[in-house]
Amino acid sequence: MIGFRNITKRFFGVPVLRDVSFAVPPGHTVGLVGENGAGKSTLMNILGGNLQPDAGSMLLDGRPYAPRTPRDAARSGVAFIHQELNLFPNLSIAENVFVAGFPRRARWLPLLDRRRIHDRTRELLAQVELSRPPETPVEHLSAGERQLVEIAKALALDARLILLDEPTTSLTDVEKALLFGIMARLRSRGLSMIYISHSLGHVLRLCDSVAVMRDGTLVAHQSAAALDTDRIVSWMVGREIRQLYPGRGDRTTGAVALEARGLSQSGTVSDISFELRRGEILGIAGLMGSGRSELARILFGLDPCAAGEIRLDGEPIHGLPPRERIRRGLAFLTEDRRAEGLCLEASIADNLSLVSWPRFATGPLGLLRRRDAGAAVTGMREAVRLTTSARDTQPVKTLSGGNQQKVVLGKWLLNRPGVLLLDEPTRGIDVGAKQEVYRLIADLARQGTAILMISSELEELTGLCDRILVMRRGRIRDAMAAQEFDRERILRAALHDETAA
Amino acid sequence: MKPVLQHSAVLRLLHQAPLLLFAVVLLGFGALSPAFLTVANGVNILVQTASTGILAVGMTFVLLTAGVDLSVGSILFVSAAVGGKLLLSGWPLAGTLPVMVAIGAALGALNAVFITRFAIMAFVVTLATRYFGRGLGLRITETRAMNLPEGMYQLGAAHWLGVPLPVWVFALVGLLAHGVLTRTAFGRHVYAVGADPEAARKAGLYPERVIFAVFVICGGCAAVAGIVTLSQAPAVSPGLGNNREFMAIAAAVLGGTSLFGGRGAVLPGTVLGALLIQTIENGLNILNVNPYLYPIVTSGVILLAVLLDAARCRVLAEAGRRRIFVES
Amino acid sequence: MTPNVVAPPVSGPAGGILSGLRRLLTSESLVLWLALAYAATLAPFTPGFVSASNGQALLAYALPILTASLGLTLVLILGGMDLSVTAVISLASVVGGRIMSAEEGWMAGSPLAVPAGVAAMLLVGAGVGAVNGWVVTACRVPAFIATLATLMLFSGLALWMTQSRKIGGLPPGFVLLGQRLWMATAITAGVAALAQAALSRTLYGQWVRAIGYNPRAARISGVPVHRVTFATYVACGLFAAVSSILFTAALETGNPEMARDNLLDVVGAVVIGGTSLYGGRGRILGTVFGVLFLSLVDNSLNLLGLTFYNITMIKGGVILGAALMDALRNRLLAAA
Repeated sequence: MIGFRNITKRFFGVPVLRDVSFAVPPGHTVGLVGENGAGKSTLMNILGGNLQPDAGSMLLDGRPYAPRTPRDAARSGVAFIHQELNLFPNLSIAENVFVAGFPRRARWLPLLDRRRIHDRTRELLAQVELSRPPETPVEHLSAGERQLVEIAKALALDARLILLDEPTTSLTDVEKALLFGIMARLRSRGLSMIYISHSLGHVLRLCDSVAVMRDGTLVAHQSAAALDTDRIVSWMVGREIRQLYPGRGDRTTGAVALEARGLSQSGTVSDISFELRRGEILGIAGLMGSGRSELARILFGLDPCAAGEIRLDGEPIHGLPPRERIRRGLAFLTEDRRAEGLCLEASIADNLSLVSWPRFATGPLGLLRRRDAGAAVTGMREAVRLTTSARDTQPVKTLSGGNQQKVVLGKWLLNRPGVLLLDEPTRGIDVGAKQEVYRLIADLARQGTAILMISSELEELTGLCDRILVMRRGRIRDAMAAQEFDRERILRAALHDETAA
Repeated sequence: MKPVLQHSAVLRLLHQAPLLLFAVVLLGFGALSPAFLTVANGVNILVQTASTGILAVGMTFVLLTAGVDLSVGSILFVSAAVGGKLLLSGWPLAGTLPVMVAIGAALGALNAVFITRFAIMAFVVTLATRYFGRGLGLRITETRAMNLPEGMYQLGAAHWLGVPLPVWVFALVGLLAHGVLTRTAFGRHVYAVGADPEAARKAGLYPERVIFAVFVICGGCAAVAGIVTLSQAPAVSPGLGNNREFMAIAAAVLGGTSLFGGRGAVLPGTVLGALLIQTIENGLNILNVNPYLYPIVTSGVILLAVLLDAARCRVLAEAGRRRIFVES
Repeated sequence: MTPNVVAPPVSGPAGGILSGLRRLLTSESLVLWLALAYAATLAPFTPGFVSASNGQALLAYALPILTASLGLTLVLILGGMDLSVTAVISLASVVGGRIMSAEEGWMAGSPLAVPAGVAAMLLVGAGVGAVNGWVVTACRVPAFIATLATLMLFSGLALWMTQSRKIGGLPPGFVLLGQRLWMATAITAGVAALAQAALSRTLYGQWVRAIGYNPRAARISGVPVHRVTFATYVACGLFAAVSSILFTAALETGNPEMARDNLLDVVGAVVIGGTSLYGGRGRILGTVFGVLFLSLVDNSLNLLGLTFYNITMIKGGVILGAALMDALRNRLLAAA
């Protein structure tokens, strides 16, 4: 179907792809994995016509294929489904499906043929099992439904090769299952797919073969049947990661740091109560939309809460704005690093010191002690092991995802929080950076910080936490201590009525 | 559930805010003066709205792509100045008008080149060309008022089926723009680019071309608005079109067009907004109010409409707050 | 995924020139060098350009514009916009005239007329700024449209208050400010130093930048976004009021159309100075250079006998050129 031959690409003289060659046979799904920066995206940008290779060639159905623009790629039957969905919320489903090539009433008449667009969209929506009228605005759809619209878009192009780049990041498990079912059906119809994901379990389950990239080269391409996660990870990092999670070891828990009693807010959480102690890592499991992120936002004071009580170190903090809670030692790493965590255009130093500026300001005028702040920033860079190649004045947007996350973490740690709320702290970062973030979290707990950690990755929770609460539909459904951790039990509690329904 | 119901009622009311304001203004002036709610005055308002309305329709295209064009008043002036010169040198009306529109489109294209080719913010580019155009126009007219030949005036006074020509032009431009925006691929691409230019690029559209086109359209509309203005008062004065861009933006925003792109409509939206502004002015005029109060009242109403729209967005956000489950 | 690798520095003789050019283009004082180069080039051809009296004329023109531009710089760094500065200037001018004028002032002849007039003018600035700040923060109206509406509202108010007439007969104590250039210079320098200090040395300045870069992240990081935003619009209004004091004293009249045509100068100077309309990026010194450059252009072209409309055209071109250069320089910075 598609073949890559000796693809090479350099940016400013630095090679990012070196002699990459592999093929996707018709009707096959190939999983493409690698750490961030391994060259996956560059390769896919070349496939999609966004970039041109410096050397090497591609063959599509045995014919040379060299797209100059995304439009060329679409015309050749290569469709993309990006991690960030490429939909226009203000347009209807049908308009989104046909936005790149609206059919006209007649060749000489530039009017849209709405009936044809709607009829065809209805057909396509049936294929992806989405029962919504074609004229529904996309802004009314859930994340999972939008993903299905993306697939319908690819089908509308008569795509023969579909590329999916992390399509499941924002989907609930039910939506994931639906997506995987549709992918299996498309594969049986002879469609080829390239599936990029950090979730190796999904890759092994879905793909016929797995291609692993590291530092711009293809290190392996083998049939999925013969592979397991450990093997792939060792190829990805180039060494065996024996201990992804630091041991719980000698942690001891202290006094109650954060206490919630009967928190309820219509539509998001109901009757949430828990205690979090110093030196403890408390995990919160649950599907997307179970109310876990909403709980964190309520604890931090970003969202309103109709009933209940929150105490920080024994003091009630209900009704205080985030600013006051921060002053009292609360910190919140949100799930959306780019939109809520960082000032992407600002420097590393300015991002790191953002939360703690008030501590470096004196007098009623708020004069800054820049030298103190600078020293603290330097110390924090070392503490979170930020890449040493970046200058303090460099904009954060130039950093990799893992290093960006370290900046967000460092920003909060600089304020020496007593309670740290983490919402998906390792989302979209590579294995190496994940390991470092885990180590940091464990170290903080050892030093007495109370940590509340929300995650979609059960392995991460069971590997790191002292206790886990499971949420479903806004309530805590189950709670277990480290010795009781059982992934099946967690899943059952998280899924329960969704699977029954 | 009760709160949701309340929200949607408030929302529906707020959604119709421009229409409600319009109704209030009509009834208010109607109650104050018998001369206001008459067919003759209605036609009068339409004629008076035509020029600003056409300007605002062009502006709507630009605002839909999340841009802004501060230069339309100057474009109007330059094309009117050139047109005036041509007419006075003996050119026929039929030859001059297309040239005027072409000049407007060309000046729009000039804006577009800087915005798309060099990636400079539309605000900066059009602010600069606003002053550039004003200077150019003054240079052409030598800072003097130019009285145009009789033909221009006859154009404005002409009727067809009992309706004055400026109203026909306004209706034509409005309908055409509405059709283009809602029923053609280009129109839908305008909305797509306004919502997310990066996504549009990835989808295989050409955002630069779309943005280029909307500025050309906006320039062309400015020239047409100039022609309509001249047909009503056939003289090119040095202040012609000055600050008109603010009225055009205000009309579009009054009609519900967002400055952030992707949201808005010509019909009823912008056209209603333009009518509202003109109706207020007309009503104040009939009531013999001190003309110095016009801009104060008008901007007060605009501020009110903007506040109502912001309130609507807030209620919308409140209602749309993620409800992940419905309590049984 | 963009590679987060820094390109190795270009070396060799050709690279030397190129990197020199690049360093100049990306230099923070580029606008100052350009202004000086412009002045040096024009000086031999422009009669009376290099003279004490012209220096004074240049300064008198630049000072009020600079004062207003400084406030706008703060608002732009915050990621906002304030089109109403010229409305503040004209309204404050009228209010000041109404209070102080010996002919028709409410406090005509009173020894307290000048302090009361100045206080009222500052109050007008703070008031309009507070309205802008309130509409933008509490009502969440986009700043562009909010300040466009207040621009129309308050300039309309200024015209209505005077029915387009100018107010003469300002007290000598006030007019002195316009005659003694060193006083206006001292005021503007003080105001500029204040803005510079606030921006670079205080908590407030850090917060303004953070909000300009990303208001959501700033709020979650504990920045009092609404308070800082409100304060910045009030500050911008105050700066415009000080500008109005300088304008009014220099022209010796309260004028409802004061500075009506100076919006280009104010916004243009800030843009030339390298402040980004996207928020976050900008410097007070850049604005000073921007005003200097625009004033030099205005002043020299006037001396060369160009007409008002030609000067307007050229100024528009200069601002476009500056924006072009800024785009080029960002490309260079991004590539580095």
